[in-house]
Amino acid sequence: MALRDLTTDYAGRGAPMFRLALKTGALTVLTLGFYRFWMKARIRRYYWSAIRPGGHPLEFVGRPTEMLTGFLTAVVFLAFYIGVVNLILMFFSFSVFKGEAPAYLLSFIGLVPMFFFAHYRARRYILARTRWRGIRFALEPGVKGYVWRATLWWLATILSVGILWPVKTFELEKYRTDRTWFGDQKFEQTGGRWSLMGAMKHVYLAAALILCGIIAATALDEPVWLAASAMGAIWAVLGLAYWKAESFKRLTEGKVLGDAGLRSHPRGGRVLGVYLLGGLAISALLTALLIGLAVGLGLVFALVDPAMIEAGFKDLGDLANLPAWVATLFALAAYFAMFLFWGVLREVFITMPIARHFAETTEVVNPDALNAIRQRPRDEFAEAEGFADALPLGDGI
Amino acid sequence: MSDGGSVVEGFADYVDGETAIIHRVALRLSPDRLTLIQPDGGSEDWVADDLREVPDQADPSMLVLSRAGNPVARLYVTDGEISKLLRRNAPALHRRPPIENKPRIAAWGLGAVASVALIIFVLVPVMANQLAEFLPPEGEKALGDATFEQIRTALGREDFLPVETCEDPAGLAALAKMEARLGAAQDLPYPVTVTVLDHELVNAFALPGGRIVIFRGLLEMAASPEEVAAVLAHELGHVVHRDPTRDALRLAGSIGVLGLVFGDFAGGTVVLLLANELINAQYSQAAETGADDYAHALLTEAGLPPSALGTFFARLKDEYGDAEGIYAHFSTHPQMTARIEAALEAQTQAERAGELKDPVLTPAEWADLRAICGPSKPEPDPKIPGNSKGEPSRLGRG
Ligand SMILES: [Zn+2]
Repeated sequence: MALRDLTTDYAGRGAPMFRLALKTGALTVLTLGFYRFWMKARIRRYYWSAIRPGGHPLEFVGRPTEMLTGFLTAVVFLAFYIGVVNLILMFFSFSVFKGEAPAYLLSFIGLVPMFFFAHYRARRYILARTRWRGIRFALEPGVKGYVWRATLWWLATILSVGILWPVKTFELEKYRTDRTWFGDQKFEQTGGRWSLMGAMKHVYLAAALILCGIIAATALDEPVWLAASAMGAIWAVLGLAYWKAESFKRLTEGKVLGDAGLRSHPRGGRVLGVYLLGGLAISALLTALLIGLAVGLGLVFALVDPAMIEAGFKDLGDLANLPAWVATLFALAAYFAMFLFWGVLREVFITMPIARHFAETTEVVNPDALNAIRQRPRDEFAEAEGFADALPLGDGI
Repeated sequence: MSDGGSVVEGFADYVDGETAIIHRVALRLSPDRLTLIQPDGGSEDWVADDLREVPDQADPSMLVLSRAGNPVARLYVTDGEISKLLRRNAPALHRRPPIENKPRIAAWGLGAVASVALIIFVLVPVMANQLAEFLPPEGEKALGDATFEQIRTALGREDFLPVETCEDPAGLAALAKMEARLGAAQDLPYPVTVTVLDHELVNAFALPGGRIVIFRGLLEMAASPEEVAAVLAHELGHVVHRDPTRDALRLAGSIGVLGLVFGDFAGGTVVLLLANELINAQYSQAAETGADDYAHALLTEAGLPPSALGTFFARLKDEYGDAEGIYAHFSTHPQMTARIEAALEAQTQAERAGELKDPVLTPAEWADLRAICGPSKPEPDPKIPGNSKGEPSRLGRG
């Protein structure tokens, strides 16, 4: 063994991230959403550069303009699909089923493969624009195989009431990892199909406990058994945090890059702590913000019509008597402020601390082997992550 | 870049973008260039004008440099003094690479906007028009019921409760008499349902499946029951021509597309609302004229004066001018005058044919209809408690 393992530093800090997210978020709101590609690129550059295995930062080199053109491409495809297909489905839904629910359902089912498609293509773009030590990552083309596998595994997961979730997670991660490259070296996901089941054990036990509690309470007609269900619910929350940490550990340590590998030891307790404390901090700050807005509103009124303040707000019912435009303006400002700050605070108090924990607990094993790796050509991928941008994919980074 | 022409030396990590090897290089910072000296003695000059800082780095103590024209090589400078000098003196550290192929981006943008516009304004409406003809009556009815609940909720006030429907029995009886006189359902495959909503808006509209909604504000504004009958006949015209069905289908197709374009971020939400308003606002002039013509014929047939539609429009025009109001499609100016004249023309014809008969409601029934939302309450001032001179507002928020 020539070199020791490379530990990962994490350089992200709350204050700069807060400033960056607030600034870019405000610009996005002001430009009716079109700045979001620049926002995304800048925030990603920050997050990537914060992760520094062996002291050398990752780099995100995606360009906002290519994300914009990719988005435009996707919009044209999807506009056709959503406009025409929704219309036809609506028509059939009302003419055959006399209701709109079937249309929404069919329309959603029709979109599901599109989501998997968008997910894989977005991953391909992100990896193609990620570098470490000057070397490009890449994901091979292979979206067709991903879409049908994802559809089947999701179906299996739903049919098994969620029991097969770890298998689905592993199989899809393996499909992606086995097509991932760092320079001219391919990754491989080792570990078996069932290797993640153990990471879910606490959730399984908790679910069983909840179920037993409910069954016992109904069968014996003694509500006291519901206490077992309540305990199960708490256990399930702890179990989910354990799953998040343990599944990451198992998947990460299963990834092999030639002779190099990864080691990881994240802790579920830490993950849970971040979510609890972060959630607490976010709700406290948002409450403070709302109170601040209300005080601001009061000041505006004092300036506009002092008599109204003198009369005083006897109760909340009086608020309904405010002139409509003031109420509308206040609601709009409050909505945007809350929306913006919710996003910003989530980055600062949840996303970044989680990223920090996972980064700091992950090491590169046998980094010597990396020195043999050579550059790969650039993946010109004009579509970028347009489909993922256009579809509400849940805002992963 | 070094101050005063002196040379500053240090070390940095360097990757060449060809292999993943980290090279520890010696740095020589002279006034006009940064020289990288490899351990094997080979050296490389990065001239001052070519130095670029990789932006948005999380670690402020590390300066990540790239060299213009080389997209992959990186220099990781942690030497405090050299970083400081570079940050202070390098002339183009923050120059961004020129945006490549601007024309292509512009073309894509225009193409996308044009395609989406084509889909929303041509393809979807054309398809909606075609499909509306084939929607069976039960389907139309279901569509109308779904839309009705959405509108009631949307009109709800600060308390977020849906607007009440008015159901005073005497008023409903008067309304039923009016419908019967018009022979409302004769051209339709489904029964007509007329609902009065307790809202001060001066408006009425038709929904798919024979549902017609009249607002209390319109009953208060009308001078005679014939005017209400005329409005009802106009809305029946829309129902018979399936205008609301087309509209609802078109909306179903367009909403999703607009949501897609503007994304779910806050800015998009507002544009989405505005765009919806825009799409939803009005039927075409042709549809309005068609509904007017239908109303004239229906009124004449029922022995009622078609001029009532004209007098009602004239009152709207007097009250609000030709400017737009929220009272939606009645005011599709600037045609208002033409529409009033058309009604008077129909009146002349009807009089000549001697077809006019009894009034549609007795004075007592007319009073009942106007009180369908309960005895007319003195408008509570919506603005400031204790203010006595507030005017009752007719045009609420729509
Ligand atoms: Zn009309």
